Amino acid sequence: MFNPRLFAVAVVFLAACGAEPAPPPAPTGPTPEELEQRRQDSIAQLRAQEEAERRAEQERMEREAARRAEDNRQTLVEVVYFDYDEAAIRSDMEAKLRAKAEILRENRNVQLRMEGHADERGTSEYNIALGNARAQAVIEFISGFGLDADRFESVSYGEEQPAAQGSNESAWSRNRRVEFVVTAGGADLR
Amino acid sequence: MNAKRPVNADDRRTSRPRRFGVRRTAWLASAVAAASPSAWPAALAAQERPDEAAIPGVSLGTVYETTYVPPIAILPIEGRFGGESEARGVHDIVVRDLRYSDRFQVVDSLPAALAGQGVDYGLWDGLGADWLVKGTLDGTADGFVLEIEVHDVVFASLRARRRFSIPAPGDPRFRMAVHAASDAVVEWVTGEPGIAASRIAFAMRPWGDSTSKELYVVDSDGEDLRRVTWDESLAVSPAWSPDGGRIAYVSWKGGFPAIHELDVSTEESKALATGADGQQITPAYHPDGGEIAFARLTGRRSELFTLDLRGACCQPSKIGGGAHIDLQPTYSPGGRRVAFTSNRLGTATPQIYVMPSGGGEAVLLSPYQYGKGGHFTDPDWSPASTKVAFSGRAEGRRTRFHILVADAEAGEGRLVQLTTEGNNEDPSWAPDSRHIVFTGERSYGHGVFVVDAGTGRIRTLVAGVRAEDTDWSPPLTGRSDPP
Repeated sequence: MFNPRLFAVAVVFLAACGAEPAPPPAPTGPTPEELEQRRQDSIAQLRAQEEAERRAEQERMEREAARRAEDNRQTLVEVVYFDYDEAAIRSDMEAKLRAKAEILRENRNVQLRMEGHADERGTSEYNIALGNARAQAVIEFISGFGLDADRFESVSYGEEQPAAQGSNESAWSRNRRVEFVVTAGGADLR
Repeated sequence: MNAKRPVNADDRRTSRPRRFGVRRTAWLASAVAAASPSAWPAALAAQERPDEAAIPGVSLGTVYETTYVPPIAILPIEGRFGGESEARGVHDIVVRDLRYSDRFQVVDSLPAALAGQGVDYGLWDGLGADWLVKGTLDGTADGFVLEIEVHDVVFASLRARRRFSIPAPGDPRFRMAVHAASDAVVEWVTGEPGIAASRIAFAMRPWGDSTSKELYVVDSDGEDLRRVTWDESLAVSPAWSPDGGRIAYVSWKGGFPAIHELDVSTEESKALATGADGQQITPAYHPDGGEIAFARLTGRRSELFTLDLRGACCQPSKIGGGAHIDLQPTYSPGGRRVAFTSNRLGTATPQIYVMPSGGGEAVLLSPYQYGKGGHFTDPDWSPASTKVAFSGRAEGRRTRFHILVADAEAGEGRLVQLTTEGNNEDPSWAPDSRHIVFTGERSYGHGVFVVDAGTGRIRTLVAGVRAEDTDWSPPLTGRSDPP
């Protein structure tokens, strides 16, 4: 009669009794130097990882800052439009100018040139004066936020440099404008 | 002094021994109409069809009442001794100049056979001519001598004879020398200056260039259009010096508008040291050439200054300005007053004013109606009268610009509108204080036009150009051009 369960137990027992006892482990292991090296390596790795993460974050922030600077630059140079034969700031243009003033307040090195333009109606010489009045109206409005007017210069082009061609209201409304050029501090814009 | 109607037309007519018969005049009219229809008064009187009423407060019409337009017969100029080849060309220039003077009924295309003979006053009187022009063109070593005689047919006598030296046709001075002879004829007959030997300056974009603007100059008969500035920037607002040698203008060459001066013969230009900061526009010379008036943009405003060009360099005097825009000064003939544009009555309603040239009380000249808008700019004081031309339009978005003339002495109510079609701007008086050049926009395109304030007749000076800021030179007689 063969009991397979008993047999398996016997085999296991015999195998255990037959194995030579293993020699005690040699006391070699990592030397303290090696341990130190490992510790150093581990630290270096962590450092590198941290540095990479930091760098990534920095790059992200730089990208973000650059994006913001670019947004701000866009906001600064965003064109402001005027009504026919008028140099008064339109109420729907005030938000644009306020946004510019905010940016200028935080970027004290930035200087701007306001370029005034007129549509083709009216005589060309009068339109030079009108373009100038528009550029100056913008300077006055922005300076009203406590900004030094010396940071701004103006030039009028009258009707000589239209943004849109054509003799219709759609072209005229795009030509009655003040454009903005960053003349200093553009590189540090944030 | 010259701005009155032709000096002696009426005197001559009344003192003429025998009055024209209507029949006889009609005979000459039909004979000439066949040969050159544009020469005849029927054509002179032809007006453009008005496309809108006059600006309120202004009457349509002419500045001078034209009374009598004397018939002048021009015999073919006889070429001799080498002048044969150019005689026809010279004749054509003289005939056109006399037509453009708008002072005569020009009768040409006459038989050449009549040219070689002595003057038979009876014959010319019988044909109805008041004046007869006879000329010869002789070749010389380096050009020609043009001899012109003007005969007074009515009084059967030689009025004047003069020899003009004319360079060879290839010489750039050729046409101007012939124009000078034409002007002599006008002066002998009317006692007033002609305009043939003069030029018109204006600003426009060079062909194929959509950003810059340069100055161009064209002869009074529309010939020899040429570019005179090469700034590759914006050049506008040309103003001739009284001697015709220089043109003051505004250039953005330095980044902002500033006054420059161009030497017409060398085509060299330089910034004029005005001693004033900021943007400067709309220069005008004093009639004596020793002073220049201009507008300076200060803040939102524009103020008027004068600068003494002789001594005391570069200390400009402020002559006008306030919390508004003053610009476009133009001197009276004696230089004691200036007319200018100002929006002191409202930001969107520039008007024309007159004040002493040293500053003082400004008197309104343009047709302002209380509470109404309107837009009046571009004044130009005539070189020899109290008339001030300007461009303006009535209130309303659809109104158009027209050429208007006011009298600085007559006060309100003496305003005349000379144009009725399209848009018309930038008027400038000719040396005869009678013709006005202006830029116009028509349904068929843009151009430079000349209107005769005496007859209302309009001719095209340069077709198909989008010009700005036309300015008519002083007489350039005897002035030599660049080689």
